Amino acid sequence: MKRQLRIYKPFTRAGLLEMVAYRVNFIFFLLGEIMQCFVMFFVWKAVFDSSSQETLYGFSYDNMVVYLFITFLCGYITYSDGTYVIGKEILDGSIAMRMIKPVNFDMCFLFQELGGKIFQLLIVFLPITVGVEGYRWIVNGAFMMDVPMFLLFIVSMILAYGINFFFNVCYGFLAFYLKNLWGTDIIKGVIVGFLSGATVPLAFMGTFGQVLGFLPFASLSYTPVMIYMGMYSGAQIIFYMSLQLVWLVAFVLLSRLILRSAMKRLVVHGG
Amino acid sequence: MRRYLKLHSIFIKQDLKKLMEYKVDFLLGALGFLLGQAVQIFCLGVIFSTIPALCYTVGGKVVDFWTFEEVLFIYGFSLIPKGIDHLFFDNLWGLGYWIVDKGDFDKYLTRPINSWFYVLCEKFCVDALGEIVVGIALIIYSTLSMPANIAGAINWWRVLPIIAILPFAIMLFTSIKTATAAISFWTKRSGHVTHMCYMTNEFAKYPVKIYNKVVKTAITYILPFALTAYYPAIYILRGESAWSLPVTVAVSLAFFAISQFIWHRGLKAYESAGS
Amino acid sequence: MNNNEIMIKVCNLKKEFRKAVKEPGLKGSFKALFKPKYDTVKAVDGISFDVKKGEIIGFIGPNGAGKSTVIKMLTGILTPTEGVCTIGGKIPTKNRKEYVKEIGVVFGQRTQLWWDLALRETYMVLKEIYEIPDKEYKERMAFLNEVLELDSFITSPVRTLSLGQRMRADIAASLLHNPKVLFLDEPTIGLDVVVKDNIRKAIQKISEESGTTVILTTHDLEDIELLCRRIVMIDKGKKVFDGELSELRRKYGQMRELAFELKNAEDSSKLTYDKDFSFEEGDLSVEMNGSAVKVRFNSDTVSVENMLSYTLSKVHVKDINVKDADIEEIIRRLYVEGGEADEAST
Repeated sequence: MKRQLRIYKPFTRAGLLEMVAYRVNFIFFLLGEIMQCFVMFFVWKAVFDSSSQETLYGFSYDNMVVYLFITFLCGYITYSDGTYVIGKEILDGSIAMRMIKPVNFDMCFLFQELGGKIFQLLIVFLPITVGVEGYRWIVNGAFMMDVPMFLLFIVSMILAYGINFFFNVCYGFLAFYLKNLWGTDIIKGVIVGFLSGATVPLAFMGTFGQVLGFLPFASLSYTPVMIYMGMYSGAQIIFYMSLQLVWLVAFVLLSRLILRSAMKRLVVHGG
Repeated sequence: MRRYLKLHSIFIKQDLKKLMEYKVDFLLGALGFLLGQAVQIFCLGVIFSTIPALCYTVGGKVVDFWTFEEVLFIYGFSLIPKGIDHLFFDNLWGLGYWIVDKGDFDKYLTRPINSWFYVLCEKFCVDALGEIVVGIALIIYSTLSMPANIAGAINWWRVLPIIAILPFAIMLFTSIKTATAAISFWTKRSGHVTHMCYMTNEFAKYPVKIYNKVVKTAITYILPFALTAYYPAIYILRGESAWSLPVTVAVSLAFFAISQFIWHRGLKAYESAGS
Repeated sequence: MNNNEIMIKVCNLKKEFRKAVKEPGLKGSFKALFKPKYDTVKAVDGISFDVKKGEIIGFIGPNGAGKSTVIKMLTGILTPTEGVCTIGGKIPTKNRKEYVKEIGVVFGQRTQLWWDLALRETYMVLKEIYEIPDKEYKERMAFLNEVLELDSFITSPVRTLSLGQRMRADIAASLLHNPKVLFLDEPTIGLDVVVKDNIRKAIQKISEESGTTVILTTHDLEDIELLCRRIVMIDKGKKVFDGELSELRRKYGQMRELAFELKNAEDSSKLTYDKDFSFEEGDLSVEMNGSAVKVRFNSDTVSVENMLSYTLSKVHVKDINVKDADIEEIIRRLYVEGGEADEAST
């Protein structure tokens, strides 16, 4: 196992170096993306000011702010580029080169991406959690972070990344059939974003939201974020994290299956 | 000028032909875009279902408020200048992301037309039609479903001056993109800077009064996207902020001049250093 | 038409680039941020030459010699640091929009064609960009069609064209407005022998019939041998040779090649040319492959006769072949010399 992992070390290193090389671009991009959070920060403030109630569907304004930024954070940390990278290699045929190397095909992507994540932890994870906790500290006059919950949040986020990674591997292999990346990738982004509660908490959508809670998309960010905020009871945490595990296993198996059939197709049709 | 208009129409025709070659790509892209807008608007609806209207309060007292329909109207209006700029002048993104970086800019310098114009109009981005259509649809839908007292307050003659300043609102987008894309002449890549500045327009989709001083100042004076969305929209709805009309024209001209200055400086830098 | 009319005049052209130097480490990064230090790199260092109307000249030199910098200055993409170049009396960067109407440029590695559209569409757009009148466009198109044989693929999307077709199409695109000067940067790169030959013939024909002056940069020396009577060679930003190809051969053509077929392959170890003769570096190269031996040497230092008798005295030979130096050999030697001169100066 240890030897196995050593094979992938250069991939992690390459991923990290690439990220460091493009750090300035990445930071500018990030600043542009986080703008949306600040827009919603003010919109929600006006919404709560307009409401006669202190909380909406169990969310106070402070909760909402935490929700906004931690969801953004989660989206970034669990983001996976597999669809695009795999899809592109399939369309231009370079996937055949990957297949003949004595390393596990999707593991190379995984470890390369993890390398980039190391850097992202530093410039996305740290500032946002510090910012959010700082905000809570100023508003409430007390340190609000629950350390055990935070650790559970980390575990849940790692599971979420795993689900997203293997989901994207599966989706990427669709390029064998779809022959189109750009359009389908946009559609995927929109649907996943909506179904995972990235724009509005699923709690706001009533029964519809509850149904969405069972789908894999909610496992991507809604579950870790709710754990971070301490809005799930012990039983709920156990239930939703088990659900994450189930989805992770499901997508790993599915990706194996698709990979095998794709290989067969590649061998028969020559890509 | 006339020659350039003719050239531009030829470029557009070429891109439409290209579209026919890639029908499926276009349809999927357009579908994705429409879906994205639909989700945004649905979420807006969900948010507003909890409140009667969006209020601006000072010390707990309601100073100003906007109904859901009014917010939709502003939101819809914001998509129009943005969408038109997107439709005609999308290639500036390419300049900042890869054209200079890959050394493809040389081509633009070996043609007997203005290089800025050539970059600007080489690509006709049909996807943006979705933005414009959604914008117009939202404006129509929101005015039709407005409560009678709000709809009654609209003086439709006020649309005319807004149409007159529309080109300036569009030019504001184009100028900001031009200025930030031109940074790539020094740094090879600047698409991310363009992205950061461009995303500021998200603030302009909602009533400016809900923001704090910093944001308000930023989107009115520094990257004045509010002039392309909230101010003209609220002028149509209520006749408020009439001052913003001449300001939009002046600011837009100033931004155009600055962006041209940066472009030409950048071009000089490119000519002396190459890529 | 005056055939001696000068089309391109390059006078003491210089281009310097400033390159930021960064000291290693974090401290160096900070220093570079506040007090950047620059090194000046002389990419082109005082080059002069003239090109007559209708001439085809080969512009050659090793990678990094400054070829593309010169071409970029001539096409108005880069401004020279010093010196002037005029083409048809016009200064490239002065009034670019007017100037570029008189030139056509083909960068072999990059296409100017509309990738996703039928080839014909690109020409229609170029017609408008260059404001070519209908009648002229038709005539020009017919001419280019005939020379470059575009007919068979003019309605196909550019992305479906083969490399050779694409190159022909690119050359036609740069000639549509009947430019006085055509710049061809690596026009035969990656093409097979037959296609290369067709393209060379076409270039020649165009130059003859339209009186177009052609500046050709290439690494393929066959291009030069078949197309150009004159070559300009640069290295390290300086001109190292300017003249007719035959002159180059006369001047540097003392290289000879002897090829032997030995009776016994193991005899080859007896042939120790480098020890028994005192050649200067670059003047001798020996290739041994089983019983085949190839010796390239400078016949000024050792005559062919001596070389032959030396070899025959040492080994038994089945077959002998004597060859003149080809252009490639000459140029290889020139490059080596240039490199040595540079080492000596530093």
